[in-house]
Amino acid sequence: MTAMRVERVAGRGLVARPESGSWQSFDIQLAFCALALAVIGLLMAWTNSPEGPLSPGSTFTRGLMWFALAIVAFSAVAAFDYRWLRTLPWLVYLVNIGLLLLTLAIGITINGAQRWVSLAGLTFQFSEISKVIMIAVLAAFLEARKDSLGKLSTLIGAGLLVAPPFVLVMIQPDLGTALVLVAILAGALFLSGASLRWMGVAAGTVVATLPVIWSVLQDYQRRRLLSFLDPTSDPQGAGYQVIQAQIAVGSGGFFGKGLTNGTQGASAFLPVQSTDFALAVLLEELGFVGGIVVFLLFVGLIWRVLLIGWRSDTIFGIAFAGGTAAMLIFQVLVNAGMIAGMMPVTGIPLPFITHGGASLISTAIALGLMQSISMRAARPPW
Amino acid sequence: MHDYVLGQPEPPRTRLGVRFGVFGLVIVLVVGLLATRLFYLQVVQGGYYAGLAEENRNAMQPLRSTRGLVYDRAGRPLAINVPSYVVLVRPADLPFSERDAVVSRLSTLLDINGPDIIEAIDRYASQRFELVRIASDIPSDVARIIVEESRSLPGVEVSIEDRREYEYGPLVSHILGYTGPVTAEDLAELADAGYLNDDQIGKTGVEGRFEDVLRGSYGQQQVERDASGRVVRTVQILQQPEAGDSLELTIDVEIQREAEEALQWATEIVNLQRGVVIVMNPQTGEVLAMVSLPTYDDNVFARGITNDEYQALIDDPNRPLVNFALSEQYPPGSTYKLVTGTGALMDGIITPSTQLETAPYLEIGTYKYPEWNRRGFGPLDIYGGFSRSSDTFFYQLAGSLGADRLAYWANQFGFGQRTGIDLPAEARGIVPTDEWKQDVFGQDVYPGEVYHAGIGQGYDAATPLQVLNAYSALANGGWLYEPQIVRRVLAADGSVVQDFQPKLLHTLDVDPDVLRVMRVAAREVVTSRHTFNLVDLPLVVAGKTGTAEFGLRDAQGRLPFHSWFVAFVPKFTADQQGDPAKTDSELAIVAFAYSSNTKGNAATEIVKYFLQQHYDLGVDLTRPDLLQKGNFYGGN
Repeated sequence: MTAMRVERVAGRGLVARPESGSWQSFDIQLAFCALALAVIGLLMAWTNSPEGPLSPGSTFTRGLMWFALAIVAFSAVAAFDYRWLRTLPWLVYLVNIGLLLLTLAIGITINGAQRWVSLAGLTFQFSEISKVIMIAVLAAFLEARKDSLGKLSTLIGAGLLVAPPFVLVMIQPDLGTALVLVAILAGALFLSGASLRWMGVAAGTVVATLPVIWSVLQDYQRRRLLSFLDPTSDPQGAGYQVIQAQIAVGSGGFFGKGLTNGTQGASAFLPVQSTDFALAVLLEELGFVGGIVVFLLFVGLIWRVLLIGWRSDTIFGIAFAGGTAAMLIFQVLVNAGMIAGMMPVTGIPLPFITHGGASLISTAIALGLMQSISMRAARPPW
Repeated sequence: MHDYVLGQPEPPRTRLGVRFGVFGLVIVLVVGLLATRLFYLQVVQGGYYAGLAEENRNAMQPLRSTRGLVYDRAGRPLAINVPSYVVLVRPADLPFSERDAVVSRLSTLLDINGPDIIEAIDRYASQRFELVRIASDIPSDVARIIVEESRSLPGVEVSIEDRREYEYGPLVSHILGYTGPVTAEDLAELADAGYLNDDQIGKTGVEGRFEDVLRGSYGQQQVERDASGRVVRTVQILQQPEAGDSLELTIDVEIQREAEEALQWATEIVNLQRGVVIVMNPQTGEVLAMVSLPTYDDNVFARGITNDEYQALIDDPNRPLVNFALSEQYPPGSTYKLVTGTGALMDGIITPSTQLETAPYLEIGTYKYPEWNRRGFGPLDIYGGFSRSSDTFFYQLAGSLGADRLAYWANQFGFGQRTGIDLPAEARGIVPTDEWKQDVFGQDVYPGEVYHAGIGQGYDAATPLQVLNAYSALANGGWLYEPQIVRRVLAADGSVVQDFQPKLLHTLDVDPDVLRVMRVAAREVVTSRHTFNLVDLPLVVAGKTGTAEFGLRDAQGRLPFHSWFVAFVPKFTADQQGDPAKTDSELAIVAFAYSSNTKGNAATEIVKYFLQQHYDLGVDLTRPDLLQKGNFYGGN
């Protein structure tokens, strides 16, 4: 029996709080959704290993390794008391900035963007980790300002916190991840109760400065945006991927062509099928049915994240849930929207499905923290 | 201050509850939107995309066939295929960011305007994976540079392709014609026949007329492609290509050269703008030479003619691209008196011995129809009338025949209808009849117009080939053949696929004796020195001159004129002179000098020059002193 401590919580009365986290409060449904999505991700790694899934260094074997690491990270973070984060947010934040600077210093340039750092033969995107770190930093910041959440100063403070990593990620340049940081900021602020008026003003300001942003965009980023408007205008570049992705998705039909039977990915019509276009291969091979299953799992996962936030008695928990849910839904929207031809190609991974170690680990850490929050939430004391 | 009851926690703040609800709603909306889009793509449009995916991977690729060659009658190659370097771009492999650099480099290397290259790359915007031709027949050193720089020229490929080469260039250009890129209109008709976007097709000459023989048939293979459109492997060859068959022409390049030299010689001496020489074997209708000046070079087309070059050819007032031997029709002038004389003899208007009075002119009403020498020749029979080319003699015959009988005999000799030679763009010519004039002008032929029709003027129009073919029928005793330009079709291994026999159009409805009279009369044209010193050639040659007025009168009231001479050479041996009474001629020739305006008959000089070269007669009637006695200057 877990030791409980009864305490008084503003707005909730007397509650009981587990002393060191209660595994009874471990959110089985969240874990199930995450695990199912990760397994589907492994299936896609299997089907996207043209050299043979079991050969060393194949997408699948690497995926399996990251899967194991993600389980470890998830469990470790869940066991870890998230409240400690509140005591050292600045340290975590500085580590984050340091990693991003490191990326710019020694990163590998692929397709014109310096996003990857080579670690023991594996490439790793620190900007992925940056996302979960920023969720935690923001949550800690909002928790600290829980009495003045509605004030403009809170909004400005949160914005100033996000600005340095945002700029560093943009320099790489990685528009997609930068936008995810903005989504995290918006989600965390919104759920924790920031002033809607000031958030609206901020959003309006951003829209007003879009022309300025356009002028600083990289040439290829502009082309991607333009090619989204008219894929045939640059069919061999970004537009080509969009067209091929739509062919892959459309040709999948209702039930799909069956795992490993896709022709679009296998013959490399999708040049980056192993990264951000993995969902296109999934939709080709598993069809509309497979796509709906994946969407439902994401809805379930985000539902549990929000529920944990709802049940949490701390602003940290609420803000963390808001940031995590915003991150997840934003990536689903942008990635799936891109594959379905509704969104520009921005290079945002689809959590679990896109084969990328950093993305998986980052998501695992975020969900592990959600579990930690769940397991340490105050409940009625019986 | 609130009262807290243990175990009864207050509901969370309502404000935040609404926000959780809104957040949840956003998520449901986002996923619902994505699911709807997926349903549309995968279920509603699934079939369409399935087709695209299949096309992506499996492609049918044509296997081009080798175009057949063209030889002359002695087996000399006239049109062959040579390997040449072509520069192609696969637009899908050329990243947008490097496009300017690549285009600018290609522009420098190939000496083509950058915008032209970009236009070529973008021409088939929907087929980014299909190779686009940027330049053909580039020098090998340029090809090597492009291959060496391939790293910095993404999407650019150098490939070796067959290109047509015309070994004798301008000498036989009108006969061979050229191949060129198919036009969009061609493609609409020919797509079913397997023609491709960047295909070449025979445009003119035998290249055009025998396109289906020369082309062969393309094969087809099924290939699997990768994302960049490159062929990963050939799945299967569904059909092997079949090489085109080759053509052996009736043309003899040596005779062609002699004819061309004769025409060129006259062109330089009396400054002709246009001219034609055709040489035929009257026993078969085989065309041995066909020269039309000015000419052009088919190789310019084979190498890929530039717009400027093409425009220059089109703008040339003497229209070098036109084969005047058969594509234009002119008044045949006195050469047409063959028709009038033969008709009068056949219809019993005269006998060979009938004498008719000639005069300075004939009158119909107030109109005067003059003799060409303005004096008349006194009484003449058919021999005298033909050899002196008396207009008033033939006015009388034409008047007695009437327009329709005259037309009947003209048709017998092949006037007024295409000869049917296997070359494109042949003109039909005009033989006026009452019916024809009713159609065109709504009236019958006037009597005076019948006079003109009898001497090859007025409405009469004929191609040089028609005139030659008529005299070939005279020379061979009444057999009107279809002029032949292709002798045989040969397979790639040299075996004969098709052997074209002489094709008889019809035998003339003319008594052989009448034709004999006309042949002898044609010999008298020469012996009477109507053609001046042509008779000094040690060769029996018979023929007829023609001076055909056309166009507008000059200040002195004179009309410009074309000159004609059409001749045949009765068979001869070292011991035996040729006999024009016989039907054994093996060579007939026509020369046509457009707007020659020389004092005498320029065409006769051309034929004379040709004959002395062709038969190696050992005389030179073109020496300056003898030239003065020739037809250019009207003799002495």
